[in-house]
Amino acid sequence: MSAPPQAGAARILDRGYRPYEGRRGGTVAAVRALTVHSVQRALGLKRPATQKILPALAVFIAYVPAIVFVGLTLLVRDTVLANENLVPSYGEYYSFISAAILVFSAFVAPELICTDRRTGMLGLYLASPLGRSSYLAAKATAVVVVLALVTLGPPLLMLLAFTIIGQGPDGPAALARLFGEMLLGGLVVAVLQASLSLAVSSTTTRRAAASAGIVLLLLASTAVSDALVDGAGAAPEWFCLDLVQLPFELVRRIYGERSTSVAVAGIQTGTLVAAYVGWTVLFAAFTWWRYRRIEVDR
Amino acid sequence: MVVGTGLTRRFGRTTALDGATFSVGPGITGLLGANGAGKTTLLGLVLGLHRPDGGSLRVLGLDPTRAGPEVRARIGYSPEHHRLPPDTRAHDLVRHIAEVHGLPRREATNRASDALWSVGLGEERFRPVGTMSTGQRQRVKLAQAIAHDPRVVLLDEPTDGLDPVQRDDMLALIRRIGTDLGIHVVVSSHLLDEVERICDSAVILREGRVVASGAIHALTGRGLGVLVEVDERADEVAGRLLLRGLETTVDGSRITIAHRPDQPAGATHDAVRDAVAEAGVGIRRLSDRTVSLEDVFLEVGV
Repeated sequence: MSAPPQAGAARILDRGYRPYEGRRGGTVAAVRALTVHSVQRALGLKRPATQKILPALAVFIAYVPAIVFVGLTLLVRDTVLANENLVPSYGEYYSFISAAILVFSAFVAPELICTDRRTGMLGLYLASPLGRSSYLAAKATAVVVVLALVTLGPPLLMLLAFTIIGQGPDGPAALARLFGEMLLGGLVVAVLQASLSLAVSSTTTRRAAASAGIVLLLLASTAVSDALVDGAGAAPEWFCLDLVQLPFELVRRIYGERSTSVAVAGIQTGTLVAAYVGWTVLFAAFTWWRYRRIEVDR
Repeated sequence: MVVGTGLTRRFGRTTALDGATFSVGPGITGLLGANGAGKTTLLGLVLGLHRPDGGSLRVLGLDPTRAGPEVRARIGYSPEHHRLPPDTRAHDLVRHIAEVHGLPRREATNRASDALWSVGLGEERFRPVGTMSTGQRQRVKLAQAIAHDPRVVLLDEPTDGLDPVQRDDMLALIRRIGTDLGIHVVVSSHLLDEVERICDSAVILREGRVVASGAIHALTGRGLGVLVEVDERADEVAGRLLLRGLETTVDGSRITIAHRPDQPAGATHDAVRDAVAEAGVGIRRLSDRTVSLEDVFLEVGV
């Protein structure tokens, strides 16, 4: 005769399906949910360990220089090297992490929008309160947020560390001003990279092809700009074709720093801003146009 | 629930829907038609993804072209394809779709579990979708379609890729959703026997037009006419029925007698009794004439 089951071992196997009478969010809630989900996906959260390697590597590459510079400042602050400018300025920092920005730009947008078309998730999203425009708004926000992790995070880390060790800005007003510049500079880099990478990713369902396309476009823009300005002696304004250096130059000007290139330093800030806005709007409009035309797989 | 009047939708030179007029009521409705008949276009219009070129459409009392997000928030949708993110766990996927439909996170988490239990994937809910069979993926698609408690759920070819046993299970599940859970279901399918088994009504499309619609029992014509099978001399019995003013069709030993609305109930059966008795033949079978959906399909030329 078997022993009677113990009360503690009992469990509910079927909770039953119940009607839902509570509050329902509309499009705004849908955009928020998709943005959060996309950020988590890009960072490899709630995904197998192999999917976490690339984002972790990019974050590592972006933050290591900041950590090294803070450590270096700590090491030399009481020595004769303290006044030797061993640590780059905030404006110059982006040159050190351009590889991390390139990796993230080439990885994030393809992961977030090519996958949705390839796996048919786009059809499910468009059968929800999301429309094509709100879907793209959620994805663009997610790409900017993830890119800001490498364009905004490291300078903020440096600012925090320098402030703690007493080498930060003087007074709250200077701190607030620098923080504002940092925020604007980080977003300037992230927004253009997001716009560009979304545009390239909208042309294919294959992540690898999109990533390769983004890297090629960025490198080609630099090569063409260099060839025109430095090689052919064209007007310095052709520098605006360089999609890698253009936002970095704007960041330098946000911090009030001079460009290392004499030719680039001569370009009006208004010209750089116009080129930046033009590129960003062009890529965003292309993405939007592509998604107006894309046939949704059902 | 869904009412379309003179719906027209064109894609370039192709007319996908051509003045379709129909009404989808409560319960389970089958959307039938061959490939290219306009089923998917009709689902797209119901979801507010296309704007009709002509006619009007009301879904849950709303115009989906003007109130698309509001309509889609109360609709669940299960696509035909089986491709879902392979590295995403079933529970995460269902919860995410429920959140996108406006449910708070905690509620979406609880309901994702409930929905997966309801479709028989309770024990498997934390498995990545990529490790699941086609049958399990169909269930995941069904779970994500019902997790946010929609008023209507649209299922596009829900038994595609399933073996006969899985197919029976899925049909029973759909029937349960339409009856026990109180969610109205629209099943788009080209498999007639499935629709006949589980649906309360059907809308049949051909080349963008609604060629038949209504309750299944009305479409299949149950109770309209009589079928009699005799031992021998079916032609003689049919002749005697003809003399009594009844229209008959003979197929071997079977005689199909058309319904005459001007005759009182039971008059046809009395006539059969008399004709068979006069001919002196035995009856093997006597039943109401039934018409399958396949017959309806053939009749309307689908």
